[in-house]
Amino acid sequence: MGKMFQLLLLSFVCACTEKDEVFEASFYECKSIESNNLQHPLTNAMDVLAEDFINKGVPGIMISVRNSEGQYTVSKGKSDLASDMDLKPCNSTRVGSTVKTFTAVTILKLQEEGLLELDDPISTYLPSAVFEEIANAEKSTIRQLLNHSSGIHNYIQDAKFQTASLNNLIKEWQPEELLAYSRGQNAYFAIGTDVRYSNTNYILLGMIIEAVTGIPFYEVFKEKLFRPLDLNHTSFAATDPVPDGIIRGYIDLYSNLNLINATYYSGWDYYSADGGLISNTSDLSLFLEKLFQGELLSETSLSEMMDWIAPNDQDKNGFETFYGLGIFQIITDYGPAYLHSGDAIGYFASMVYFPNQDITISWACNANYGKIDAIVQSKEAMEQIFKSLVGPNPIFKK
Amino acid sequence: MQFAVMCCMLFFGQNSWSQRPVTLSIFNESTAVPYDNLINTPIHPGVQIGTEFHWKESKHFRLYPSISVGYMFHRKLFQGVYANLELGLDYKTSFGLNLKSKIGLGYLHTFSTQQEFQFNNGEYRSGRDKGNSRLMPSFTTGLGYRFNPKKNDSSELFLLYQSWLEYPYSPGFIPLMAHTNLHLGLKFYPFEKNER
Repeated sequence: MGKMFQLLLLSFVCACTEKDEVFEASFYECKSIESNNLQHPLTNAMDVLAEDFINKGVPGIMISVRNSEGQYTVSKGKSDLASDMDLKPCNSTRVGSTVKTFTAVTILKLQEEGLLELDDPISTYLPSAVFEEIANAEKSTIRQLLNHSSGIHNYIQDAKFQTASLNNLIKEWQPEELLAYSRGQNAYFAIGTDVRYSNTNYILLGMIIEAVTGIPFYEVFKEKLFRPLDLNHTSFAATDPVPDGIIRGYIDLYSNLNLINATYYSGWDYYSADGGLISNTSDLSLFLEKLFQGELLSETSLSEMMDWIAPNDQDKNGFETFYGLGIFQIITDYGPAYLHSGDAIGYFASMVYFPNQDITISWACNANYGKIDAIVQSKEAMEQIFKSLVGPNPIFKK
Repeated sequence: MQFAVMCCMLFFGQNSWSQRPVTLSIFNESTAVPYDNLINTPIHPGVQIGTEFHWKESKHFRLYPSISVGYMFHRKLFQGVYANLELGLDYKTSFGLNLKSKIGLGYLHTFSTQQEFQFNNGEYRSGRDKGNSRLMPSFTTGLGYRFNPKKNDSSELFLLYQSWLEYPYSPGFIPLMAHTNLHLGLKFYPFEKNER
């Protein structure tokens, strides 16, 4: 009787379980990266690194470097577990909050064009209804939004938002709906007295870009960054939230390396400038290298971007970190590095530039949460990457 | 534990089924901060069946244990079966309205609603989900309406707002998850006539 009940229950549960779509190989075809230097001296080190991540439980990973030897991207693992597709260096993935650097560069370019001033309060550009009841917003300047010194509450850390997001995983959120979770919340601190990361800052910045240009912020990204830099694998989710060929993303929701497909679950960042970027590590590295080699911004703007502020309390478990405009400086064993990372649901990416070595490294994987985060996002994981690729004796190709 | 033993004694000790009601409800489950919204969308359906036991009763108050089992389907997130023990306290009015409250502790077994890929020997393969064991402590408030206020065994229509925690949820990442279930149900005595 008991066994019969278990069998019936199991059959019922299985009947209510969705199977993943299975795609042909052509679905994941992408334009190969012409500049991929297969003779790059770091190819061996990168292969070993990527293989190590896969062996630890990451479904798919891509890593890119750019330095004086050129650029090289390696990919290992799968872009789609149900279809059993190998990940390619040219595949596109979600890169989440790395978009904040794109947002900051766009704002700085708009200042160069005379369309805005960083030290203007945001109320100069946005109607009061936008920031009504968001503590600190009215008096915060654009600069304070960019470097997270506004003290504005981060909607993404709100328990009501988090549970609402899980309650409807395929909802596509509009910026106004996200801002609602910061209304009526206390500010973290008085404006300019500390720094604390807040996605809400960057939603407002996207709205400012739209207010001064009259077009959607992601069209401004395209016009000022994607096209001029030939970022051929980069787009913004709002134009096509789940484009054909984007790799499948997975979550380890219960911390047991049992993954489920989360490709359609990032609807909270499709339309706001705090996330929503679709790209790959090759494009991210190109963007970051051009930025810090001075090809995107004037010297003055770049200097403003790197006007670092230390938080009052450093995170003792992470690197010593300083806040710039849409970028962070971390202090590593190999000197300072300029970094931004990003999560979407089922995806993670990070891009980092080491000024002393003039090397850019980006890595991205198609899974996050649970045990996956420790494998690719932790300080230990980053130290492993930096030691292999920037360290005094990187594992050069034999 | 004592509460569970007491429920078992009540369940097996009562020699007549005629006094035993059946509670049947359908509900909408959601991941939500309790008491933020009454109704959350989209609807994640669930069904629950149970019974209540007589323990202590006065003119206006009734204290009673109850047990229930149920199933819920949260699209894209989980499906779960559970068994729940609760201790309820009703305040009865003379015109049939009951103010209801319950505290409970249940066992929940959740399964994915999607294909699961499991990591073994360095690679992911599609595998059968064995599910996850959870505790579900709960607190419920609500209203009931007895169709015949003078009868102890009157049928009752009820609307219950149950807030509950799923623990553990994602160890080392999200320790617990808050849920709410909004139940619409009926308590009735299906065995009453047969045994008279």
